[in-house]
Amino acid sequence: MSLGIDLGTTNSCAAIATPTGVEFILGARGERVHPSVVAFPQSGGVVVGSDAKRYRLTEPQHVIHSAKRFIGQNIRAPLAQLAMTGVRYRIVEGPNQQPIVSVRDRRLTMPEISSHVLLHLKRAAERQLGTEIRDAVITVPASFTDGQRQATKEAGRLAGLEVMRLINEPTAAALAYGFGHNHNQIVCVFDFGGGTFDVSLLKLSGEVVEVLASDGDFFLGGDDLDRTLAESLASACNEQLYVDPRPHAPLMMKLTMGAEAIKCHLSENDAAEGEIDGLDLPGGQIGKLPFQVTRRQFEDMINGFVQRTIDVTRQVLAAANVEPKAVSEVLCVGGSTRIPTVRRRLAELFGREPNIRINPDEVVAHGAAIQAGSLTNSIMTGTGMGAAHAVSTQAHSPLVIGRTKTPTAPIKRPLLLDVNPATLSIQTAGGFTERLLDKNAPIPIERSRVFTTARDNQTRVEIDCCRGEKKRYTDNEPLGQLVLENLPARPRGDLKIEVSFRVDADGILHVRANDQDSGSRQEVRLQVFGAPESR
Amino acid sequence: MSKATTEVLLWAQRIAMRKKHKAFELLELPPTFTLDQAQEAFYRVARMAHPDLHRTTLDAAELETVTRAYAQVAAAYQTIRTQLLKQPLPPVRKPGDSREKRMSQHDFHDESPTPPPVVPPPPPLTDTRPPPAVTPALTQMSPKALVYYRKAELALRRGDMPTAMMQIKMAIAADPASKFLRAALLEIQQELGQKT
Repeated sequence: MSLGIDLGTTNSCAAIATPTGVEFILGARGERVHPSVVAFPQSGGVVVGSDAKRYRLTEPQHVIHSAKRFIGQNIRAPLAQLAMTGVRYRIVEGPNQQPIVSVRDRRLTMPEISSHVLLHLKRAAERQLGTEIRDAVITVPASFTDGQRQATKEAGRLAGLEVMRLINEPTAAALAYGFGHNHNQIVCVFDFGGGTFDVSLLKLSGEVVEVLASDGDFFLGGDDLDRTLAESLASACNEQLYVDPRPHAPLMMKLTMGAEAIKCHLSENDAAEGEIDGLDLPGGQIGKLPFQVTRRQFEDMINGFVQRTIDVTRQVLAAANVEPKAVSEVLCVGGSTRIPTVRRRLAELFGREPNIRINPDEVVAHGAAIQAGSLTNSIMTGTGMGAAHAVSTQAHSPLVIGRTKTPTAPIKRPLLLDVNPATLSIQTAGGFTERLLDKNAPIPIERSRVFTTARDNQTRVEIDCCRGEKKRYTDNEPLGQLVLENLPARPRGDLKIEVSFRVDADGILHVRANDQDSGSRQEVRLQVFGAPESR
Repeated sequence: MSKATTEVLLWAQRIAMRKKHKAFELLELPPTFTLDQAQEAFYRVARMAHPDLHRTTLDAAELETVTRAYAQVAAAYQTIRTQLLKQPLPPVRKPGDSREKRMSQHDFHDESPTPPPVVPPPPPLTDTRPPPAVTPALTQMSPKALVYYRKAELALRRGDMPTAMMQIKMAIAADPASKFLRAALLEIQQELGQKT
């Protein structure tokens, strides 16, 4: 049996494909969604899931959440530093620039934290199904880098799971939607969640699901919309209460939470009016801030962010050379797609209403389960949701959600053709980059190029690998360095060094370099910054 | 060993031997092909040889061979796709484009040979009436003024009075001596006055 796991930032979800349909793994209280939280309470032991969440009030410094924000990240990267401001537990720098959680007297790597969540899901599945679970397919955001993917795989290994495949979340969503349909169409998955934004364009033709193009923004999500609204509340606070809340973190947090509630209210209503009370003003007073926001005002505030999502979507359409009219379904995933203006702009772009009938929390795990079943050859019949059988976002009864489509003709195993998430290059003389693999190329893929030395009698070559589109090396994100040493001394340009880039089906890069002339063929493997050390 | 398994192993060996060949040869395409054909060829390879399909039937070494071969063909497909997508698409001109308007004016005063037809050829104009008769007044007019006069005529046929008047005024500015144009302006002004 093989499990499909959606390992999320805040919540995780697991499902398994059976010959009759997809079955979700339930928690101790029958819940389908499991918080990705690990607690190390005073009483000892490790607590995972909804039980761990309770310790957030009493001992927040021992509750590890949002591990996905750090997994496989270089701790010195600005994004990791930014994410560190949002947590209460301690993170220190470990070997190979990887972030390490310091809790009580223990030091744990991020893959170790995530492995606790995975182990929790694995045990729940074993309890529910009564068999041992060894294999799994885990989903990752399409924008995940190499180190993040490697670290996620490592987390699976630590939990005693063989990670057969990492698949991209939007791809999983499209697989859940599209598998079981037996006709050709192009589908756009618009995933606008709390912290990240991803958009993917997929082509479904029979059993083959091909990702045409994928792009996104790792730091664009509902949280940014909340912050924007909170900023405007802050200036209102300054005017009405004569207090500038911006330097006061707890006060600002309270306003942000208020902003989130207002945002959700405005998705359903034209205006929000009321007051935020219980504000701890400096000087010991408790204040309240009246507010009045119309939907129109809110839309004007967030227009820049929404425009950015539409721009990225246009880029993806252009990269795949697809007209917006050729897209036959737009799937909305993630909570921020509930905002009416987002839906309206999508409808304007594609000329059709987006499909919002699929439960955004579960669709990704559903797709992962289908892929897991396909890899182990255990499903041969259609188990896709289909548009008509999509899970309603409101219904949470297992009876309703368990419904699956029974195909009229047996459908072959789905075959997923995924793409390379980012352009991969190496640094050449003068600080420029030389592309080896393009973004959106089909994976697995391998390409090698021959390079040469830049100076006479050069015996050592450093090969810097990076990801990104920019021409200059320093403008891109560094991945790691390969060093070839003890090369024969030759005039410049005489030595041939073959560099081979290979991206496997998980989207993980393997780099090999060897000099073709010397008898001793050296081969070096890449060590990615922030990733667990390669064994 | 099943037939599909033997087939994919033979294919992988074939690809491994062809390492230095051109991209289209790896995809087993003819020397000239379209993007659709390339995609179809890649799908054919994917349906037969994608490593996911064989992970339960092949051993590790065999799977490695197949994966390598598939990865090479994927790279070949990407090369072909980038090349074909980079080729600029032929410009598509719709009737009503500014370029289109200028081209139709060449019919009236022949100053340069018309450029070779673009691909695809522009659809015929909706206006199928015979070209306007050439009156003596028009032959005496300066070529510049004639251009404006023809535009005014077109605007009149559309019933777009303000544009017609503007174009006539431009024509008068280009050829202030023409009595014919002044008469036309008066005519239009009267019609405009009647309407309002």
